[in-house]
Amino acid sequence: MTNPVIGTATGHDEFITLAHGNGGRIMRRLIETVFVRHLGNPWLSPLSDAAILPNRLESDHDLVFTSDGVTVQPLFFPGGNIGSLAVHGTINDLAVSGAKPLYLSVNTFLEEGLPLAQLQQIIASMAEAARACDVHVVTGDTKVLPRGLCGGIYFGISGIGVRPRGLTLGSDQIQAGDAVLVSGPVGDHGIAVLLAREQFGLSGTLESDSASVLPLTQAVLDLPGLRFMRDPTRGGLATVLHEIALATGLGIQLMAEQIPIRGSVQSVCDMLGYDPLYLACEGRVVAIVAAREADEALRLWQDLPQGREARRIGTVVPDHRRVLIKNEWGGERTLQELEDDPLPRIC
Amino acid sequence: MSAPMLMSERALRRDPRYWLARIHALPRPESGVLRIMNVCGGHERTITHAGLRQALPDYLHMIPGPGCPVCVCPEEDIHAAVALSLMDHVIVATFGDMVRVPCNAPKREPRSLQDAQARGGRVVPVASPADVLILARQNPEKKIVFFAAGFETTTAPIAALLSQPGLPDNLLLLLSARQTWPAIAHLLDSDEAGFDALIAPGHVATIMGADQWRFVAEKHALPTAVAGFTPELLLQAIHAVMAQAARNSPQLENCYPQCVTAEGNARAQCLMDAVFTIQDAPWRGIGVFAESGYACRPALAGHDARVHFPQVFNDAEARRGEMPAGCDCARVVLGRITPPQCRLYGRGCHPRNPVGPCMVSDEGACRIWWSSGAVTPTDRAMA
Ligand code: SF4
Ligand code: SF4
Repeated sequence: MTNPVIGTATGHDEFITLAHGNGGRIMRRLIETVFVRHLGNPWLSPLSDAAILPNRLESDHDLVFTSDGVTVQPLFFPGGNIGSLAVHGTINDLAVSGAKPLYLSVNTFLEEGLPLAQLQQIIASMAEAARACDVHVVTGDTKVLPRGLCGGIYFGISGIGVRPRGLTLGSDQIQAGDAVLVSGPVGDHGIAVLLAREQFGLSGTLESDSASVLPLTQAVLDLPGLRFMRDPTRGGLATVLHEIALATGLGIQLMAEQIPIRGSVQSVCDMLGYDPLYLACEGRVVAIVAAREADEALRLWQDLPQGREARRIGTVVPDHRRVLIKNEWGGERTLQELEDDPLPRIC
Repeated sequence: MSAPMLMSERALRRDPRYWLARIHALPRPESGVLRIMNVCGGHERTITHAGLRQALPDYLHMIPGPGCPVCVCPEEDIHAAVALSLMDHVIVATFGDMVRVPCNAPKREPRSLQDAQARGGRVVPVASPADVLILARQNPEKKIVFFAAGFETTTAPIAALLSQPGLPDNLLLLLSARQTWPAIAHLLDSDEAGFDALIAPGHVATIMGADQWRFVAEKHALPTAVAGFTPELLLQAIHAVMAQAARNSPQLENCYPQCVTAEGNARAQCLMDAVFTIQDAPWRGIGVFAESGYACRPALAGHDARVHFPQVFNDAEARRGEMPAGCDCARVVLGRITPPQCRLYGRGCHPRNPVGPCMVSDEGACRIWWSSGAVTPTDRAMA
């Protein structure tokens, strides 16, 4: 099947061809006119085999290292594209670990036939996202795959950051009675991408929440009662809470009306039979905080533009390993673990 | 003065607590309990996910009925779709859920389209009829068989697809579409209907009109209300049937006038009528209901997979009635038992390893109950 994103025409200037991965002149030109052009910095630009990095590690800090594979269809969606998404995703993994991201490596897998203009746009967004967070892409690699193999483009991306030594963050810190906080409305990214696929004949102004969460995580890092942070990406809020229940043996009790969900997200979900609690976010943080510091954490978040809609949505409870959600009229249900990818309902 | 009053009344009606209070204020039915059936996976999802069963008085029994088109798609159609997907020049396109619905194939044979896919079968999940059109245009050398199960709500867009000018020759339809009301007529004509009031499906009624359900109230004297899909809209309809029962005056009430009219969507009905006829049709594990299925009109024979591959359908026909051992789906679909009352529920049958379709589809009662926390066979808390 030909990929509708990619089209069928070929030509060295406008589309990626297998020659762009052959290691020769055409490949060098691609790297210079796309990757170095947008991402260039003193460590990347020499195009050496490995980046020699200045030691930005402060003495009482540890290194934090993460790696991620990034795919999304369509490649462009309201609020971002796969380039900015890749950078945000990796930065966020570091950020919720309490780290300040410093350097990224980016492996790019291109599909034969990808329009060069799209690649330019994607790498430009990648560069912009990295610049905004003061991180640098310092090394990388590019491969071209034959038509039909990779949906246009995907990335393998790794990141290094630093965090203060002695920071105790993790599910083992969580205690019954702790508060569950979320930094903003859930499900925006999932629905924005869904609408961008256009297959439902729905459209809307909803944008993905794709963004760096670094300001959010840094804002609360000094709270002694901060136990755990996670960005609810694939599988959404429900999946993060499940992981917590599983890891701690404790339960989570949620208050349905406190969970921020945009009206437009909820109505698309109602229409297609999705549950927003299972939809991906790309710019939110779930934090578990000691109850006595929950208000302080909320205030710190709500002072930031990204955290204005932050809420306390529930409590860690001792008596069950489930994620329970209760609504205002006393209805209660368990949020089960996600089984398969959510599908639009038939009718 | 009156405008703000009106506003607040309207706002109140949007609050589930308002309707719950009014429901609790109604007298307990004389018979002791009132069994209210719904016939829509969307309704059952809201009832279960919003925890309405716990919030409603315990003398109301909310019974999921035949509300899922995936669950009632006959086993022989699944056999046929599996066989077609394994043919060289065929791609089977179908709505996501159908890919995982199992049939009772012998051990070494594929049990579902997903199994078939793992053995080289070509199966493409689609989200809408428009996707099928794209697929057909992109693969002119292949036959694209659109395996479509659905109630009236799904059938209408399929009819629209088939009515398009310039439909590609290689697009074939394997239609397993059903009308919803004949299943309820069947229950009502049986010795024990199993319910005392009906919540009629809002989406179906949007297309077919509320009047389709009039027979329940007028011929069978059961309180009936057409309902929307949010908790407050459902509660409003539950209140309506309770009030009818209390007054002993069963009637058809349209509690979803935002979308539903008495006659429905004439354009959609016209489209469906132009391409499909109504005929007797089998329901999985249950049997044949008169005038319950849609079939392609002879003029569309060129796009009818059943006409195109007679042998496949003859072979599949032979498998009719073969159900996986222990599967109680038919009784769940008819509302005879609740999901946890099936012996396999949560044991042999689980979303990861479904035995019956009701555990596959997001509209299936077993899947809905399981995903809301009624996990084990003994977990009757939701009932
Ligand atoms: S078609 Fe609509 S009305 Fe029918 S079961 Fe599905 S959601 Fe309900
Ligand atoms: S538990 Fe499984 S076998 Fe039993 S009725 Fe439900 S889907 Fe069918």
